[in-house]
Amino acid sequence: MEFEFRFDIVWNNISILLEGVQTTIMLSLLTMLLGTIIGLFVAIIRLRVRRLFAIPFVIYVEVFRGTPGLIQIVWIYYCLPIVTGLELSAFTSLVIAMALNVGAYLSEVFRAGIQAVDKGHVEAACALGFKPTQISRRIVVPQAAYRMIPAIGNVFVSAIKLSSLCSVLGMSELMYQGQLVIANYFRPIEVFTVVALIYLIMAYSTSLFMMFLEWKFAWVKRDKNSFWGHFKNVSRTIFSLKPQGDLTRD
Amino acid sequence: MTNDAANLAIQIENLHKSFGSLEVLKGIDLSVTKGEVICILGTSGSGKSTLLRCINRLLVPDSGMVYIHGEPVGYVKGPDGSLRPANQSMLATQRSKIGYVFQQFNLWPHKTALDNVAEALVVVKKMKRDKARKIALQRLNEVGLEEWNDEYPSTLSGGQQQRVAIARMLAMEPDVMLFDEPTSALDPERVGEVIDVMKDLATRGNTMVIATHEMNFAKETADRAVFIDDGVIVEQAPAVEFFNEPKTERLQAFLKRMLS
Ligand SMILES: Nc1ncnc2c1ncn2[C@@H]1O[C@H](COP(=O)(O)OP(=O)(O)OP(=O)(O)O)[C@@H](O)[C@H]1O
Ligand SMILES: [Mg+2]
Repeated sequence: MEFEFRFDIVWNNISILLEGVQTTIMLSLLTMLLGTIIGLFVAIIRLRVRRLFAIPFVIYVEVFRGTPGLIQIVWIYYCLPIVTGLELSAFTSLVIAMALNVGAYLSEVFRAGIQAVDKGHVEAACALGFKPTQISRRIVVPQAAYRMIPAIGNVFVSAIKLSSLCSVLGMSELMYQGQLVIANYFRPIEVFTVVALIYLIMAYSTSLFMMFLEWKFAWVKRDKNSFWGHFKNVSRTIFSLKPQGDLTRD
Repeated sequence: MTNDAANLAIQIENLHKSFGSLEVLKGIDLSVTKGEVICILGTSGSGKSTLLRCINRLLVPDSGMVYIHGEPVGYVKGPDGSLRPANQSMLATQRSKIGYVFQQFNLWPHKTALDNVAEALVVVKKMKRDKARKIALQRLNEVGLEEWNDEYPSTLSGGQQQRVAIARMLAMEPDVMLFDEPTSALDPERVGEVIDVMKDLATRGNTMVIATHEMNFAKETADRAVFIDDGVIVEQAPAVEFFNEPKTERLQAFLKRMLS
């Protein structure tokens, strides 16, 4: 018997999938936003306070980086309302769970980015009479923020994929909706292929947006720097073909 | 204050600095009069950078005092003449009067040449950005880089970057200028352009202290040369005398090595 692909079935049910896309986007965006806030908070604390006081935050980061996302989500989904005594909607609990995961990764990105700023740049500002807060605001943070863009993009892309785990708890996002269609038509290959493509589009849009930010704020004279040129440069590094001189890095 | 003391730009008294068990500065005394150009020579690792960094307190000395135009760096004088440690903000103000040029230029990569020069005027001197940029452009002009003002550091050569760094320092109109091996990180063919800028500054009555390995520059430009070895000043003399009639054996050996 020959297998016949039936993408028409997926096409006929595309509106069901697209409903899921909406939820996935909402989940992901809110997760990124809240995760960024958590990540900043944790990174700043870890950079500022003495090692002893940072220990709870180190534990937080290592736990969320070192355990499966699915378990984190399920655990928080059931335990957060019990622990806090609040009645949280499924959506809210899931966003909080994912934001804690994303925040753990982002805090490391932020911390590493800040620490990677050349000490000489700080000393130069210091020697000119900048005060410590002025050095952070004018020299360290802008530089670090720019260099972090690709790494933040990676975390955001994983946040989108992480949201697919919410299907396990009945959140009707893209993965859940896909499984709904599969349950009705028994066409997992076709449905999953299309669902994967949709994830790919969302993930790649995020990457493109990050690339756009990188280009927009590049430390290069505008007339020397077209977006297409930047795109080619970045793609070259990704596929590790011979990298050309990248003017945005020194 | 005596007339003599009023003429002093920098006064260093009994400066000590150790890194762990390594004693790098073992009691440095040095006075620099206003408008004097001093070159500090010494082998690699003799403590030239450490000395310069202790002057503007990028490094905190273990003991000893540094005065810039009579003001003790890192301290404030109370009304009764007693000294207490300066806070971050007062120290920053003191540093803004001490120009410092680094071996590695340390330009900020996220700012254009113009804004590298203008930034401190805006942040430290609280100038409007427009006015700061106008001044910055003049300073870039003085180091021959006016047309490069909208370039970012990564597109400039080492020599150009160092000249921007000098312009950035000049913009603050510091009382004294410290240079830590300003040409050591440059390609040989780029050294000259930076040397020329510094010679020009020297003829304009600036007070300069320059750690350098450029013997010819020191000979031609310095009013006085100072030889540091093993954490102490071994010998100092007017430049001509320093190079032509070195007195100590250690300096003789050093010059022989450097000039051969
Ligand atoms: N932050 C530091 N921690 C530990 N040791 C240091 C530090 N800075 C300098 N040293 C040591 O102190 C000594 C003097 O260093 P310094 O940089 O002042 O020498 P230098 O005369 O400027 O040499 P060079 O010509 O190589 O620049 C060296 O042995 C160096 O290894
Ligand atoms: Mg040095």
